[in-house]
Amino acid sequence: MSVRALAVGRMGWRWRLGRQPALVIGATILTVFVVAALLAPYISPYDPIAQDIEFRLQNPSWAHPFGTDNFGRDVFSRVIWGARIDLQIALLGVIFPFVIGTLVGTVAGFFGGIVDALLMRLIDVILAFPFLVLVLSIIAILGPGLGSFYIAMALVGWVSYARLIRAHVLVLKNSDYAIAAVSLGFSRSRIMFRHLLPNAIAGSVVFSMSDAVLVLLNGAAISYLGLGVQPPIAEWGIMVAEGQPFITTAWWITLFPGLSIVMLAFGFSLFGDALGDALGVKE
Amino acid sequence: MSASVLRVSDLAVGLHLPGREPRMLLDNVSLDLGKGEVLGLVGESGSGKSLFCRALVRLLPSENIRITEGRIMLGDRDLAKATEAEMLGVRGGRVGMIFQNPTSHLDPVMTIGDQLIEGIRYHQKLDGGAARREALAIARQVGFTEPERQLDSYAHEFSGGMRQRAMIGVALSCNPEILVADEPTTALDVTIQAQILQLLLDIRSERGLSIILITHDLGIVAQTCDRIAVMREGRIVEQGKKRDLLRSPAHSYTKALIGSHPSMPISAGEMTATPPSKAAATDKPLLEVEEVNVRFAGAGNLFGGRSGAVHAVADVSLKIMPGETVGIVGESGSGKSTLARAVLGLTPIASGNVTFDGTSLRHDRVAFLTRLRREAAMVFQDPYNALNPRLAIGQMLAEVLKVQARTPPDQIPTRVCELLDLVDLGHEFAGRRPRSMSGGQCQRAGIARALAVEPRLIIADESTAALDVTIQAQILDLFRVLKRKMNLTLLFIAHDLAIVRNLCDRVVVMRGGHIVEQGGSAQVFEHPADPYTQALIRAIPDIDPDKPLLPQAAREIA
Amino acid sequence: MHRYKFVLYRPIQLLPVLFGISVVTFVLVRLIPGDPARVLLGARATPTAIANIRRQYGLDEPMWLQYFYFVKNLLSGEMGKSILYKIDVLKLIITRIEPTLVLVLASVTLSVLIAVPMAALAARNHGRFADHAVRIISTAGIGFPPFWLGLMLIILFSVTLGMFPVSGYGETLGEKIAHLVLPSVTIALSLSTVLTRSLRAAMVEGLRSDVATAARARGMPERVVFWRHVVPNSMVPTINLLAINIGWLIGGTVVIESVFAIPGIGQLLVRAIFSRDYMVVQGVAMMLACATVLINLIADIVTVAADPRVKL
Repeated sequence: MSVRALAVGRMGWRWRLGRQPALVIGATILTVFVVAALLAPYISPYDPIAQDIEFRLQNPSWAHPFGTDNFGRDVFSRVIWGARIDLQIALLGVIFPFVIGTLVGTVAGFFGGIVDALLMRLIDVILAFPFLVLVLSIIAILGPGLGSFYIAMALVGWVSYARLIRAHVLVLKNSDYAIAAVSLGFSRSRIMFRHLLPNAIAGSVVFSMSDAVLVLLNGAAISYLGLGVQPPIAEWGIMVAEGQPFITTAWWITLFPGLSIVMLAFGFSLFGDALGDALGVKE
Repeated sequence: MSASVLRVSDLAVGLHLPGREPRMLLDNVSLDLGKGEVLGLVGESGSGKSLFCRALVRLLPSENIRITEGRIMLGDRDLAKATEAEMLGVRGGRVGMIFQNPTSHLDPVMTIGDQLIEGIRYHQKLDGGAARREALAIARQVGFTEPERQLDSYAHEFSGGMRQRAMIGVALSCNPEILVADEPTTALDVTIQAQILQLLLDIRSERGLSIILITHDLGIVAQTCDRIAVMREGRIVEQGKKRDLLRSPAHSYTKALIGSHPSMPISAGEMTATPPSKAAATDKPLLEVEEVNVRFAGAGNLFGGRSGAVHAVADVSLKIMPGETVGIVGESGSGKSTLARAVLGLTPIASGNVTFDGTSLRHDRVAFLTRLRREAAMVFQDPYNALNPRLAIGQMLAEVLKVQARTPPDQIPTRVCELLDLVDLGHEFAGRRPRSMSGGQCQRAGIARALAVEPRLIIADESTAALDVTIQAQILDLFRVLKRKMNLTLLFIAHDLAIVRNLCDRVVVMRGGHIVEQGGSAQVFEHPADPYTQALIRAIPDIDPDKPLLPQAAREIA
Repeated sequence: MHRYKFVLYRPIQLLPVLFGISVVTFVLVRLIPGDPARVLLGARATPTAIANIRRQYGLDEPMWLQYFYFVKNLLSGEMGKSILYKIDVLKLIITRIEPTLVLVLASVTLSVLIAVPMAALAARNHGRFADHAVRIISTAGIGFPPFWLGLMLIILFSVTLGMFPVSGYGETLGEKIAHLVLPSVTIALSLSTVLTRSLRAAMVEGLRSDVATAARARGMPERVVFWRHVVPNSMVPTINLLAINIGWLIGGTVVIESVFAIPGIGQLLVRAIFSRDYMVVQGVAMMLACATVLINLIADIVTVAADPRVKL
C-alpha cells in the first residue's frame, strides 16, 4: 500500500488528471448543463412555451433538432429551458436537507443522551416510510407544486445526512485528537465545529452528489405524475408525461428530456465518484 | 543443521509502474533454510520482510510488483519460474503461512472446523470422516482444550491467543514442510506471546517443520531462532548463527537494532541523570489517587458513549511525587489506560478521589479540571490518530497556545518554533500535515502539543507502542531529555515492561483493574513479590539467549 | 438458537416506531386546513355522515383524545371510507395489494439475479475491460428515471416488437404475468444498478481482504477463494443494501404503476392525492410504512442467519 501511495504521490497534476477520466467527464457534463441553463434565453432557438399548432408533432430536423411536441413547441428549446428547473430541483432539493441534517447530526452525535435518543427515534420513524410515499403525502397536504416539493424534501431528506454525520462524529469524538482537545481545555463548540465537523463532513459532501441524482429523479418523477411543476413550464419530467400519449407516433417528445435527465445524473455520479476518491471517502 | 529445504539466491523484486523507472523493493536477497531450522528474519516496518515472504509463494500485493531476478529453490524446483498451477500445490501444501492478525485472516462466516477441513481436502485428499478426524488431531496439536466443540465455533468466539492457535492449525491442515510466520505474536499480550512461540517450537519438533519467523523484536528471535537474518531497505544486511550475530554484530544497523532493544540496560550516564530520590524529601505528592473506581455501565467514557457494565478500575490508590517518573504496566484490559483518563478527568470516576497539587476532584471539580487542563497533558499511542489530520503542525500548536492564553498573540509564532526545537523537529514542520510525516515525527509533534501547555505532569499512554524499535529508542531518549530540562513529572503507561524498567523510577503493575504490585523499578524487576508480576517479567523475550523464556510460568496464569 | 430470540422481542422494540408512524399519519391529515370532517369526507358529504364521523373520530374532543380515537379505530381495522370509491379503505387496499406485491417480489428477485453475476464479473476482472464496462453501465444506469425507462421499454418491446401489452392488468394468470413483465424489468434494472455498484465494491474489497490472502496462501484456486470465501462475506452488505433500498423500491413501484396503469397500491395513492381522498392517502402511507418495517425485520433475520458474528 505504502509503495503505491508513494508512486502516485510523486506524479504531476497533469498525470493525475489524465488518470481521472471520471472527474474530467463529470465536471464537463455539469458545466455544459449549468452554462445551458444560464444562457437559456440566448441559446434556445425558440420560445419554450410558444405554441404553433401548424407545426405540431414534427420529426427531428435541422429546424427542430429534437422535433416538436403536441402543441408545436420546439422540444430542443424546452429541453434547454428545462435544465433551469431541473438543476434548481437538484440544488435546492439537496441544500436544505444537507444543512439541516448536518447541524442536527453533529449536535446529536456530540452531545448524545436524551436529545440524541429522541432524534434517532424520529429518524427511525421517518425512515420507516418509503421516501417517495412520505414526500407524496406531504405534497398531498400542501398541494401540488415545486414549493411543496422543496418543503417535503427539507422535512424528509435531512434524515440521511443527520445519520451519516452523526455516525462520523460518534467515531471521531472518541479519537485521540478529540480527547487531546478536551484535555487541553478546548471549548465544546471549538471541538465540535473546528475539529470534528471538518473531518466528518467529507462523507456528506460526497453523498450529496449521489443524493442530487436521487433528488433529480424524484423531482422529475413527481412532475411526471403531475404533482410538481405545472404546465406549460418546461421541465424534463413533465415533458416525458406530455409525450407519453404519443410514444407510438412521436417518440422524440419523450426520448430527449429523458436522455437529459440521464446525462445530468451521470455527471453528478461521476463527479461524486471523483470527489470521493479525492477526499478518500469510501461508500 | 542438515541440508537446506529452501534456498533463495539473488532474489530481486521491483515495482514496475508504466512509463517509470522500476524501483527495487527487494534486492539481492539470498537465504538458506535448513531442515528443522528456525530462521529469524528481523527488520523494521518497510524493510521488505513481509514482501519477502509474499514473494516466496509468489503472492505479491500488486500486478506491478514483480520478481525480476533470482531463484527460489524448493527442493529442485525453482518457484520463481514455476507455473501458477504448480504454485497452487506449493502454497499451503509445501509452504504454509501464518499472519499477524488472525482476526482478519480467518474467515468470519465459516467455522474453524470447516476451514481446517478445506485445507485437508485440498492438500491431503481426505474426505468426510477421515478429514474430520484429521481436523480433530490438528486442533489437539495446536492446543484446543475442547476440540470437538471448538471445531464448530467461529473465529469471533475465540480469544486472541486461541485465534492465533486456530490460524496455526489452518496452516497445518495443508500439511506443509515450511512455515512462514509473519509477526505471529505482535498483536498479543506477552504471556500469550510466550505460549504461541512455545507452540511453534513444539510443532517444529513434532512435525519436523522448518520455520521462517518474521519479527521486529530481536528478543523473540533470541529466544526462538537458530539463525538470524537482518533486513533493511530490501536487503539482507547481515545473517548468521544466533549467538554469533547477537554477540558480535558486524553491521552498524544490527548494532543499532541491538542497542535500541528495550531489554538492553541503558548506559550509566543517562540513568544517573534522573535523580529519583530528590522528590521524596519534599513529601507532598503532585498527584494523589485515592481508592478510585471506574465502572462502565451504560454511560461510560468521555462523551457518554455506551459499553457493557465493566469494573475497569477497582480501588486504585497511588501517589506520584513531583519530578518522579512512574510506570504503569499491565496487559490489555488491565485498566491502565482507563486509570490515566480518569486521573485527567476524561472519564468519570464512580468513587474515590484524585488530588492534583492540593486541588481535590471531590471538593472542587471545576477548579481541579481547570488546573489539570493548564498543568497536565497527555501523549497518545497512535501518533496519527492523535493529531487532527486537517491541521498543519504549526496551526495545531498555535491553537493550543491561543486557547491556553498564556502566550501573547504576537509571540505565538516564536513559541511554536521553540516547541518544535524542544522535540527536535525542524521549523519547516510547522507547515506540514500529519499525513506527510512519519510515525516518529507525528509522535514528536504530539509531544510538542503536550509541552505547549507548559505542563508539570505528562501522562504518556503507550506512547511508543506503535513505533519501530529504533524510533522507540529515540522517543524514549526525548522523554528523558525533556524530563531533565523541564523538571517534568511523568506517568508512563505501557504493556512493554522492558521500556518501563529503563525509564521509570517506580513501577505499578495492574491486572484486571487492580494494582497487584508497586515499588521501585529495580525492586520490582529484580524481586517481584506477586506471582502475576513474576510471570509477566519472565514472559518478556530477553535479547540474551541465555535468559530463556519460561512458558510454564505463562501457562500457570493463563 | 438463542441468537434468533430477537424475533420474539423485536416486535416489542418496534412499538415506538409503529407509534411514531401512527402519529405522523395522524398529524399529516390534521395539518390540512379546514374542518377535518369536511376534509375527510369531501365537499359533498351529507350532514348525517359528518355527524357520524365527528362521533366516530371524536373530532370535537381535544387533540390527544382524537389521536386516541384514531388508534382505537385503527386497531379495530377501521380506516375510514374512500370518497372516490365509496368503500372501506382497508378493503380497498386489500383489493389492490396483489399486483403491487407481485411487482415488488419479482423486481427484487430479478435485480439480485442481474446484480450478483454483474458484480462478480466486474470484481473478478478488477481493473480490466469487463470491470470498467460494468462500472460505467451501473453508474450511468443509476440516473435512468424509472418512469422514462419504462416508456422506452414500451416503445422497444410493446410497440416495435409487439411482445408485451402496453399497459393495464389482466384477469387470467397468463394475462397478469404478461402485464407485469415490463414493469418488473423496469424496476429491477433501476434497482440492480445500485446493487451492482455496492456489491462490486464489497467483492473487490473482499478479494483484497486478508481472508482472501490467507486462502490463497493455502493454495486455494481463485474460483474457491471467490465463491467460498469472498461471496459469503459479501452477503451481509448485500442484504443490508436491499433493506436500505426497500423504501426506494416501493417508491419506484408507485411511479411505475402509474406509467403502466397497473391497478395497485401506488396508483391508488396517486389518484387519491389528486382527488383529495385523504382517508386513502393516510391508509396507504401507513400500510406501506408498516410493510417497510416488516421487510426490515425479515432482513434482520436473514442477516443473523448469514453472519455468525451478528447478535441482535
